[in-house]
Amino acid sequence: MNPKGAPRVAPQTAVAPAHPETSFADALRQGMNQAMEMDRGVILVGQLVDYAPGVFGSTTGLAERFGTDRVRDFPVSESAMTSLGIGAAIAGMRPVLVHHRLDFMLYSIDAIVNWLSLWRFKSNGKSSAPVTIRAIVGRGWGQGPQHSKSLHAWFAHIPGIKVAMPATAFDAKGLLLESIFGEDPVIMIEHRSLFGLKDAVPEVPYRVRFGRAALRREGSDVSLVAAGVMVPFALRVAAQLSEEGVSADVVDLRTIAPLDTGAVLKSVEKTGRLAVFDPTWGSFGMAAEVVARVSERLGRRLRADPLRICHPDSHTPMSSALETLYYPQETDAVKKIRSLVS
Amino acid sequence: MQCVTHEAILKAGRYSDVHLEDGEAEIAKRLYRFMLRLRMCEEALAREYHPADEMRCPVHFCVGQEAVPAALSLLMRDEDYLYCHHRSHGYFLAKGSPMEALFAELYGKSTGANAGLAGSQDISYAQRRFYSGAILAGATAIAAGTALALQMGRTGLVSVAGFGESATDEGIFWETINYAALAKLPIVFVCENNNYSVFSPQLKRTLLDNISERVATFGMVAKPIFGNDAMLVHRTLRDAVERARTGEGPTFVEAYTYRWSGHYGPASDDLVGYRAAEDLEAWKRNCPIELLGQALRSRGLLSETDSKTWTKEYEQEVALCFRFAKSSPFPDKPDWKSLNLSNATPQADKLLVDLDVAEFDAHQESVQAKGY
Repeated sequence: MNPKGAPRVAPQTAVAPAHPETSFADALRQGMNQAMEMDRGVILVGQLVDYAPGVFGSTTGLAERFGTDRVRDFPVSESAMTSLGIGAAIAGMRPVLVHHRLDFMLYSIDAIVNWLSLWRFKSNGKSSAPVTIRAIVGRGWGQGPQHSKSLHAWFAHIPGIKVAMPATAFDAKGLLLESIFGEDPVIMIEHRSLFGLKDAVPEVPYRVRFGRAALRREGSDVSLVAAGVMVPFALRVAAQLSEEGVSADVVDLRTIAPLDTGAVLKSVEKTGRLAVFDPTWGSFGMAAEVVARVSERLGRRLRADPLRICHPDSHTPMSSALETLYYPQETDAVKKIRSLVS
Repeated sequence: MQCVTHEAILKAGRYSDVHLEDGEAEIAKRLYRFMLRLRMCEEALAREYHPADEMRCPVHFCVGQEAVPAALSLLMRDEDYLYCHHRSHGYFLAKGSPMEALFAELYGKSTGANAGLAGSQDISYAQRRFYSGAILAGATAIAAGTALALQMGRTGLVSVAGFGESATDEGIFWETINYAALAKLPIVFVCENNNYSVFSPQLKRTLLDNISERVATFGMVAKPIFGNDAMLVHRTLRDAVERARTGEGPTFVEAYTYRWSGHYGPASDDLVGYRAAEDLEAWKRNCPIELLGQALRSRGLLSETDSKTWTKEYEQEVALCFRFAKSSPFPDKPDWKSLNLSNATPQADKLLVDLDVAEFDAHQESVQAKGY
């Protein structure tokens, strides 16, 4: 039981108890370390990856252990970096690319959209490029419009790319390993404000599969569907709602491409109400997709209009006063969801 | 650096420097045969393209630009990788990919190199490590990534990127040149400078026509050459491939050449008025096949009988390829998902443990900590 008394659901698969408490950043580092141990073809490429602080702690120590050939600093040339990753993957390697901020990765949008995503398709499955791209998204402390964009919906829109959005340290490690040793290109959206979060992370190299959502909390009145940084947010909202007698399912999508439609439908079938938490703009986004999929299947059985909790359709402001107004606040979300139920 | 420009080549008129060094007779004959086969393949495709309209995809013919693929066909090993641009047929054949798979691909048939998914400008033949793509410079950087893998694996293999001079208008091209030089990658960049991006000439797009000079400032060996002298192209690329194989690093070869057909399709686009008719005529007088043919004939290395035999051989091959392509079935309705994503995860199955957990404490203070 946690301090606020939120009920926990049982693990879906038994995990041996007493795994070490590990932060999200450290879980990523651990996963990377294990991947590099298991397969010499795994390399890590990104700006500053071979310096002591690494990428917010997620790469620390890897260069010392595996050398700067495999843990490779790269010039400020994101476009070439992504394409190099593609070419290395075609020749059998398992490259992991990392961007301190997703915004910089946009230099390589041609490589991702015109090459990486369709490589398997246009070769008729004869060639593949299993590249893992870690894209970190900033939030708060004045990150402003060029350090805070979570463009997961862009990538999920494109066939041939998988998109992961881990919300927990456990998932960060498991999805990273699954991405590296899977056969498809993956963009892993990592919200920077999750990097300090801790949970129990097994030491073995384990996998978290794509397209399998996790039910983080069980309730009966409303389904809260979330991904990435909005998962802990939705869980806290659910805890507050429970104090007011409203019980909520919290579905953590974990990956949005593929998206576990079945898990969402199952929850909404039970509750008849849907609120989607998406850490970006509302228009044409992941939340819209979830609402659409639910509406197509359960539209007439919904007991209230579906709700999206997103950012305003505006770029991110710097001032902390404006950030508070820009990012969704728990109390607002609680109020909106309460009105769905009453 | 020896200075080569399109202007200088036109000014010089008919090229007369094709020569054979000791021991190059066999190489010369093989180059000639490759170019003849490619030319006949392209001309036959061009004749058939309209009005039949059975090849329903953009095709960029490489008539006039046969020398570079011919040289590569002799220099590349099966295990080497070749990436090229949309004018792909010469490179496709250079890597030893089967001609019938090319024809069937253009016809959109299930027996095509990519079962009709790619067409001419995106064709690949992974079995021979050959790949192409239409977004100009993208493949140059991908080729460098493959070179990185070959270098890290200490394979002694090379990666070759073939592209047109327009690709050097793109930023990613220069990023790639920088990194290939920095990391001493085992790659050969071969730029077919045909002077035109569709209609737009190089000097309308850059103030100076000095691509090789610019590449050299990155610390890379750069060699601008007359690209219709197949012997010179072969020698230059041979040295470049050798440098890459032995770990000496990348080379940039700029082969000046000219496309005879329009940018795409078999019809001339000269009505647009973007190039002078006499330029095309001058370049036709510098036909790479004819230049080499003459050098061979003058040395008694190419007889009338040879020409007839080979021509007949390639006519028959092309006819068979058409028959194969036309008689092959169209693809069935595919499973769209498995075309785009893998159905299996063999590596992950082997290496990773299945575990799952739903437990998570959302009330940790660090969630709200400083975002940076």
